[in-house]
Amino acid sequence: MTVGPVIIKRRDFLGHIARGSAIVTMPAFLSGCGVQQATQLAASPPENPFLTWFGVDEATLARVMTELTANGADSADLYFQHQRINNLSMEDGIVSRADSRIAQGVGLRLVIGGQSGFAFTEDLNLDAMLAAARTAAAIAAGTAAVAPQAYNPQRTGDLYTTTLPWAEVGISRKLPILQQVDARARSADPSVQKVTVNWSDADDRVLIATLDGRLAMDRRPMTRLSVLVTATQDGETQSGYANIAARQDFAWYTQDRINSMVDEAVGRTLILFDARRPPAGEMPVILAAGASGILLHEAIGHGMEADFNRKGTSIYSDMLGRKVAEPFVTIVDQGTIPNERGSLNFDDEGNECGRTVMVENGILRSYLHDSISARQYRVATTGSGRRQSYQFAPMPRMTCTFMEDGPHTKQEIIAAVDRGIIAETYTNGQVQIGAGDYTFYVKNGWLVEGGKVTAPIRDVNIIGNGPESLQRITMAADDATLDAGGWTCGKNGQLVPVSQGIPTVLVSSMTVGGENAG
Amino acid sequence: MPADLQARAEQAVEILRAAGADDAWANATQSRNVEFTYRDGQLEKVQDATARLLTVQVYANGRYSRQQTTDLSPDRLGGFLGEAVAITSALQADPERQLTPADLFANRPEVDLDLVDSAVQALDRRQRLSWCQAMDDSARRQEQVISATSVVYDGTRTEASASSNGFSGTQESTYCWLGASVTLRDRGERRAVDGFSAGAPHVADIPDAAAIAGIALARALARLDVTRGPTTRSTMVVDSRAAVELISRLLAPANARSVQQGRSFWAGIMGEEAFSPALTIVDDPLIVRGLGSRYYDREGISSEVLPIVEKGMVKNIYVDTYYGRKAGLAPTTGSPSNRRIECGEQSLAELLHEAGDGVYVTSWLGGNADGASGNFSLGLRGHLIENGKIGRPVGEMNVTGNLRALFARLEALGNEPYAYSTTLAPSLVFSDVDFSGA
Repeated sequence: MTVGPVIIKRRDFLGHIARGSAIVTMPAFLSGCGVQQATQLAASPPENPFLTWFGVDEATLARVMTELTANGADSADLYFQHQRINNLSMEDGIVSRADSRIAQGVGLRLVIGGQSGFAFTEDLNLDAMLAAARTAAAIAAGTAAVAPQAYNPQRTGDLYTTTLPWAEVGISRKLPILQQVDARARSADPSVQKVTVNWSDADDRVLIATLDGRLAMDRRPMTRLSVLVTATQDGETQSGYANIAARQDFAWYTQDRINSMVDEAVGRTLILFDARRPPAGEMPVILAAGASGILLHEAIGHGMEADFNRKGTSIYSDMLGRKVAEPFVTIVDQGTIPNERGSLNFDDEGNECGRTVMVENGILRSYLHDSISARQYRVATTGSGRRQSYQFAPMPRMTCTFMEDGPHTKQEIIAAVDRGIIAETYTNGQVQIGAGDYTFYVKNGWLVEGGKVTAPIRDVNIIGNGPESLQRITMAADDATLDAGGWTCGKNGQLVPVSQGIPTVLVSSMTVGGENAG
Repeated sequence: MPADLQARAEQAVEILRAAGADDAWANATQSRNVEFTYRDGQLEKVQDATARLLTVQVYANGRYSRQQTTDLSPDRLGGFLGEAVAITSALQADPERQLTPADLFANRPEVDLDLVDSAVQALDRRQRLSWCQAMDDSARRQEQVISATSVVYDGTRTEASASSNGFSGTQESTYCWLGASVTLRDRGERRAVDGFSAGAPHVADIPDAAAIAGIALARALARLDVTRGPTTRSTMVVDSRAAVELISRLLAPANARSVQQGRSFWAGIMGEEAFSPALTIVDDPLIVRGLGSRYYDREGISSEVLPIVEKGMVKNIYVDTYYGRKAGLAPTTGSPSNRRIECGEQSLAELLHEAGDGVYVTSWLGGNADGASGNFSLGLRGHLIENGKIGRPVGEMNVTGNLRALFARLEALGNEPYAYSTTLAPSLVFSDVDFSGA
């Protein structure tokens, strides 16, 4: 299980809301290709805008669902998706490349007992959908389930309502932002030699119809802006990176937000010239607020995904109800923080996302459930069933994972360390679910000697064991911060966007990759 | 099917030209794959996927864009392609963006790479289930097994490309992978987990299913009772499977883009003996039945064998046409095919015996490397080497250093490459490596 890449800190995650914006619609070079050709069985056209978009009606859904569950099913879902992603790249001072992708299809899944069948088609005509349904249904061999003939539309979520859909923002509006990032990075320091700016926006429409008659619809915006800075001093080259990402619209890109990202990337790069590797071995590690949420993602988050636990393959499989950390440690996965990259109005099984307290005051409380594991554990789903796209079946995943404030201050934590490091920015992490061993790669950090920050460090891998590291969180500060960067989590070949955050914490001992051993 | 895809690609080029593109490249792919997942005596999941994609690259007024769609309905394709030209026109001009020169299409190899196996295309539910059951039986034959998952994954991928300057080509390949993952109860709440998988374009080139799961079980058993290894500087022996990732990290910045963008430690070392004389790496797209074999690359450049490192001396890097122009380098190929690492004379057992003491790495956990400097720091799992033999299992360790310096200290290579990757690497032995642990 992996996560990457780096992100920057943001301090306004709790309760921030989408800002209103007044944007004049420009001629759209990147507009969608229009609605699908209708696949309708009913006499009158569908009135639901999502059904219209996919060119299907309720009678079609009922017909396909009936075919999908013809050999029996405990649950089943149809996951329609139309996604348009637009990327722009600026290199050597030219925005010379645009990459766009349209992905459209429907994934069909049924679950019966411990078994599931899945197929997808990119052809949204009835014959193609029925053929895919029969393929998925082949895993079952029982009597037909009763498929609903009418669907109950779920409440539309409002976590990331945007004023202007990305499909209606033309390239001409985006180009100046890339140019501005490039110019600011180049002018920041004479040692800056190369600047790469990448822009991405996505407009994702999802329609989920379930065997129990629910119809969930969601329109999911996403955007990310990143800058990679390469600088050379005295023949030595170093690169640094920063990005910002959110389920937001064009108005989110304020001057301050953009400048702050660029300044952070340049700062991170230039300090690498003064940085060195720390000594190798076990030592106390202070995890800076924000990006260090990667600790939670790797050390506990993946291990709490219930698919691993129902199979008995996670180190946390038999630990619910046990004390796993100090009483000031509360760790939450919450998919309902407005506009966060990891947030969702509905998960990809059509269930509302919620707030799942994984560790409450040091006690292990709840796994992250999809519908399969929830049924097995006889609990309600936590709205954690996610998938990369219609080409994949869902499974339990994290959304926005963070630790709440602790009782200490950052200054107290630094003062408590005689010889150790501060880990500040990261590129990636990974965990081994069964053993609980995890790692994350620190790009920037600091040495701490005698309770004081003394020198910058760079490029070290840190390795630990999940349950041991939780027990070793001996201090946590009152500065909980959620990152707004472009973290992407990989599991079983599927990538999903996530968010993570943490206050400044002290882990009393971790293994730090370094040099000067011997 | 290849002919249908070819027609689709050629039609896309025609439409793009008619819509105002000066030049165009189109690639149409279709793939079908089936995946059976079997866990603890029961078929758990069947996934059947048929996917398609059209990718076009548009050159208009010195501008360039790349557009993809899975929506191939005839009534919308024209609109999509027209829009692709409009998007391109909105960008900035870049004189280096040009179609692949037609002379690079010449001399396409005529050898039969034998990449399609009708036996893969004929696989049915009974055979896939039979393999799953054989792996499941083999993987679960120890009491400590908590869970074992076996997977059969097979399919066919077909692609066709066409360009406005005369490129035309189709390629098709089959693949079949068998793999198992085993979780064992370890001390306390810990689980020992490992797995093994093997795949090839031809069914006949895959080992017996039970043997694959047997290796997975043996690897998991070797992870029992792992403790943290020492902080030390010593010899590192990397097994052939783990060597694949290490070689991949070494080669990751060995390309024109990284060099031109100032983010590669391979810049300026062409013709230098930058690495140990024991190291020879060749990119070989022409291996019969190879996992990465091909007749031409994604730019249409005809395949040929490309020496990357010869006895420690840097001979070539990966150069695509765009970054080649920007960096003033002649194009080779922008995308790796099969990487063959020249083997040594000794077996793994002999290498371990010769090492005496040190760390034997069987897999990596996380970590990263900086392409500009070559600095790396990786988590590892493996064993101590004690008196020339595999000793106690270790984990929670990092190895840290510099890739260029590390491969300058490559002392020896094993005599058997790992077969189930596009990087065909044997075991590797390095001296004076920094480890951090307890």
